[in-house]
Amino acid sequence: MAHIPDGVLSAPVLIAGAAVSLAGCGYALRRLDEERIPEVAILAAVFFVASLVHFPVGPTSVHLILNGLTGILLGWAAFPAIAVALLLQAVLFGFGGLVVLGVNIMNMAIPAVLCCYLFQAVAGNGANRQRVLWGAGLAGGLGVLLTAIMVAAVLTLSGREFFAAAKLVVVAHVPVALIEAAFSVAVIGLLSRVKPSLLGFQA
Amino acid sequence: MTRVSIPVLVTVMLLMFGGVAEAHKLKVFATATGAAIEGYAYFGTGGRARQSEVTVASPDGTVLGKTTTDDEGNFRYDATRRVDHVITVDGRDGHVASYTVAADELPQTLASGGDAAAAKPSAERTGAPIAAAPAASRTGEDADLKAFIDRSIARQIRPLREQIDAYQEKIRLHDVLGGLGYILGLGGLAFGLAQRRKRAGTGASDVTRGAQ
Repeated sequence: MAHIPDGVLSAPVLIAGAAVSLAGCGYALRRLDEERIPEVAILAAVFFVASLVHFPVGPTSVHLILNGLTGILLGWAAFPAIAVALLLQAVLFGFGGLVVLGVNIMNMAIPAVLCCYLFQAVAGNGANRQRVLWGAGLAGGLGVLLTAIMVAAVLTLSGREFFAAAKLVVVAHVPVALIEAAFSVAVIGLLSRVKPSLLGFQA
Repeated sequence: MTRVSIPVLVTVMLLMFGGVAEAHKLKVFATATGAAIEGYAYFGTGGRARQSEVTVASPDGTVLGKTTTDDEGNFRYDATRRVDHVITVDGRDGHVASYTVAADELPQTLASGGDAAAAKPSAERTGAPIAAAPAASRTGEDADLKAFIDRSIARQIRPLREQIDAYQEKIRLHDVLGGLGYILGLGGLAFGLAQRRKRAGTGASDVTRGAQ
């Protein structure tokens, strides 16, 4: 599951995850333009709330993650946004542990940043609406799937069988990925029409 | 327009889960009925964890036994020692939960801790050495009666314990609003600090720009 609880991962994985997340947050905050702070806060809030929308899939149960959409809109700034949201989810909802917070941030923020680059590559300058929507759908869906694969990978590094973990986590997240792809297309489609500057496009 | 639409989006999502959602989290519940520990693994969202590995261990980490949950998420383990049983369910996908069945819940006839203590409880129960034979048999009857009452009470309060256990994990609207408030506050703090740094850097005295 996307939010890994305490006591599952081994110490080297925890330390590596914390280091990556700290570095990512530091780099993102350094780059962050202060004009975009309200945007970051709002997307942190959306990300925070998204995890409460859940539905059962097979033997397990999954919820929205929305890291793809967060990444498209924030780029590197997704790191601090996701870090704050995950910390609050852990403290207030008990989603994921506090010791594994670094790994959880890494698992969700790295795909978010990759999705930002993917979206920019596909959407180009935003002149072609078709390409913008495709970029949004791909990035929205891939954000979830990459997170699922990273969860499976850290579970493997902590001594679990990769195939079993990957199958369970990835398969359970296919429906989430589809829903998030559709959701991202809707949100980005709207934003590209009414506020293209948010996506870095010329108005 | 966009400035309005994103908060609207957040509100819509808040409404989608009706204000009261349950945690997405694996949980275990177990009670002892006689010497049998019975329980189930479930998700805060309502589903049961099927075919998951269950490990029963003592508090010091010694594995006492293993089993798996059935298709309804139920499992059963027959205790052989009167110690705390830490039951851990592993969903293999990163979901892990545990629950402790206290030694008090298990019948006193089981050996507590080491095997040497096996005879101790009965010796204690017969009490003083002057106890005559009829008294001893009455003590036996009392023990049976007590065990019966214990079992009966355990059965009666089980639904209550299940309810309390599930209720602890409920997420309420104030948790969500609290979190949103924190995010808003942090955003404001970051914005304010950035503005102050900018003013200090440029030496400008445009105070009104910082307020939003």
